[in-house]
Amino acid sequence: MSAVLHKPSTVSEPLAAAGAKRGGPRGRLAPYLFILPALVLFAAFKLYPIGWSFVLSLHKTVGGVDTFVGGENYRRLVDDPLFWTALKNTAVVLAVQVPVMLALATGLAVALNSAILRGRSVFRLGFFLPMVTGLVAYGIMFSVLLHQEYGLVNWFLGLFGSDGIPWLTDPLWAKISIGFVLTWHYTGYNAVILLARLQTVPAELYDAAAVDGAGPWHSFRHVTLPGLRPALLLTTVLSTIGTLQLFDEPYILTGGGPDNATLTIGVYLYQTAFKYFDFGYASAIAYVLAVLIGLLGIVQFRVLGDRS
Amino acid sequence: MNVSPVNTPRGIDRRRLLQLGGALAATTSLAACSGSGSAGTGGAGDKNKGSLTVWSWQGPATALKALVPEFRRKHPGIEVTVEDIGNPAIWDKITTAMAAGGEGLADVLHIGVDYLPGYTEKFPEGLADLGELGAAKYRGAFAPGLWRTVSPTGSRVNALPWEANSAGFWYRADLFEKAGVDAGALATWDDVVEAGKKIKADTGTRLIGIDKPASQADAANFFQMLLQLQGAFYFNADGDITLDSPEAVRAMKIIKRMNDSGLVSDFSGGWNTMVSSLKKSTVAVQPMPTWFGGVIEREVPQQKGKWRVQLPPAVRPGGSRSATVNSTHLAVAGSSPHQAAAWTFVEYVLTRPASQARIYRDQAIAPALMKAYDDAAFHEPSAYFGGQKRGEVFLKALKAPSPSFTYSSDYARALKVVTDAQTRVLLKGADPAGALHDAADRLGKQTGRKVVR
Repeated sequence: MSAVLHKPSTVSEPLAAAGAKRGGPRGRLAPYLFILPALVLFAAFKLYPIGWSFVLSLHKTVGGVDTFVGGENYRRLVDDPLFWTALKNTAVVLAVQVPVMLALATGLAVALNSAILRGRSVFRLGFFLPMVTGLVAYGIMFSVLLHQEYGLVNWFLGLFGSDGIPWLTDPLWAKISIGFVLTWHYTGYNAVILLARLQTVPAELYDAAAVDGAGPWHSFRHVTLPGLRPALLLTTVLSTIGTLQLFDEPYILTGGGPDNATLTIGVYLYQTAFKYFDFGYASAIAYVLAVLIGLLGIVQFRVLGDRS
Repeated sequence: MNVSPVNTPRGIDRRRLLQLGGALAATTSLAACSGSGSAGTGGAGDKNKGSLTVWSWQGPATALKALVPEFRRKHPGIEVTVEDIGNPAIWDKITTAMAAGGEGLADVLHIGVDYLPGYTEKFPEGLADLGELGAAKYRGAFAPGLWRTVSPTGSRVNALPWEANSAGFWYRADLFEKAGVDAGALATWDDVVEAGKKIKADTGTRLIGIDKPASQADAANFFQMLLQLQGAFYFNADGDITLDSPEAVRAMKIIKRMNDSGLVSDFSGGWNTMVSSLKKSTVAVQPMPTWFGGVIEREVPQQKGKWRVQLPPAVRPGGSRSATVNSTHLAVAGSSPHQAAAWTFVEYVLTRPASQARIYRDQAIAPALMKAYDDAAFHEPSAYFGGQKRGEVFLKALKAPSPSFTYSSDYARALKVVTDAQTRVLLKGADPAGALHDAADRLGKQTGRKVVR
């Protein structure tokens, strides 16, 4: 940074004069000083841990001593069946839950934007509220609701003669429960983002579509959806990142079980670091996860982004 | 999933990449903040002065709190705050604090035998050497085998033993009677399975409860007890993996038979579910260690007179009926600036027979301190347990020779593969031998330990 600050001026005469008018070198220093606090914080709390975790990922701790092992942790990852299980579980959530949730959020945004809906702000608040519920609090709430023998949901189903569903204790149902909980928590949040974008779509476009004879479906398909495109990209990318980092819900509801059916990369990373004290291997998992998120993000920008 | 949006994106520009980068940073820094190693930044301090924080859980925490006022009368210079962190939450809390070099760690830590080797191996300076503070003179004071647990090399003393828990067989005498089953006549666990079928048929109550989907780390407690009754464990004395031994397969087969006969209630959800089950009387037997008596008395006072206890039946005819299934310990944090004062507290709690007798009366926690058993508290008939002298039941087990078990620093990993195997057996009908074979292989791969067959 100091190299930048003390760089001798090589700009041409008129520009240099303009610079002098703004206060010369001191004027050029000011913006850097303004971003300095943010930069220092970023370096201390983001850059340093990112760098250090990479160093960690190349080490193995044996008997309290860190030894350099190069890429061994990464090689170990390749034939670690639990890592692949975690990746597969995450992919299932990504492929099933995220599209369903975003479709619901889009429908919800359109409904909340509708002029005929009364008490709109109440509904908006209602759907957004799950988002501000503490993760642990709602995790515990759902574990009480979904308990097979003592849960409220199965008690309710019991009124209709059902034997009760093993919500959290059957591998398949546990996956479905996690998906259900995620949807409950994040649909409203995504709907609000989409709604904000929806309100910027000019009404004239709908009028024009109506004049051209488009019904509700066609104006949704050809006006609403293209208008929502940037917000859809944003919510898709955010949901993808969130899903890949999925941790709280499986951690609290199922602990990654039963038999690793809801093990996510986040939960596996946590177990490796804080249950098995294997910080080097956990860092390697974190790096692979980061690269995956980066790659998926780029793909999504390419597919959904503006081509202009 | 809480990355806040800043702008509406249009394509990949620098700002977008930065946002993406921020999200990545959040991932990688999760692992990095763990750091490694730990600094023993603490010091001895004054042995009669200081302000101590103690971490424990549930019953033991309550017992410690009750002991503080009389400790303060003797040592007015030392302030003690006992915090009930909860179990299993306490293990994660200790790990993260140690990984942060002792930042935010309490001065005195209550640590189970299952976690002690892991902490001492991963954080060599995490716990103070109590030998330097004067612990060595208590070498012979505790139940046989326990000194090796707290001082594996014989030089450093990582902790001092508190509880010595023996395997127990707590049962509902009223339900047994109703089904015409004589608990005293149950010689092996095969007999128990047959008795369980009768109890279920006559009273509708299941035999035992297991956390089938392994929602908690300790879901395999019963399996582990059956293993320990046979003198076997997940690791042998050399630290090699033995979790698919014939003993282990035998234990898992017993569990599978119980499950296939519909005798196992699902305790998924862990502790709270178990307590609900106690209150609703959904199981007839709780194969739990010594400390469980205190839990029953506290949680279901209305069931007074219905419970009895005996040592568990043997796994094979003529086999052992006693095993010291686990122990817990008090340790002093290496980062504590009041190590000497912390030792004063630990010494007061763990080496004074009167302290241990009081804890036993209060919470029914069985001490490892052998001299404590001279106290009348351990020989009185208990009104709750129908006049049984339950203290003597377990004292007999404690005095019987019990092999010591190697938990190793990979116990948490072993537990994970074992509970996964048990889940496969209980929920998917997997074959016990095959499931344990896979588990042993998986553990070997994860830890680099040899699998002995």
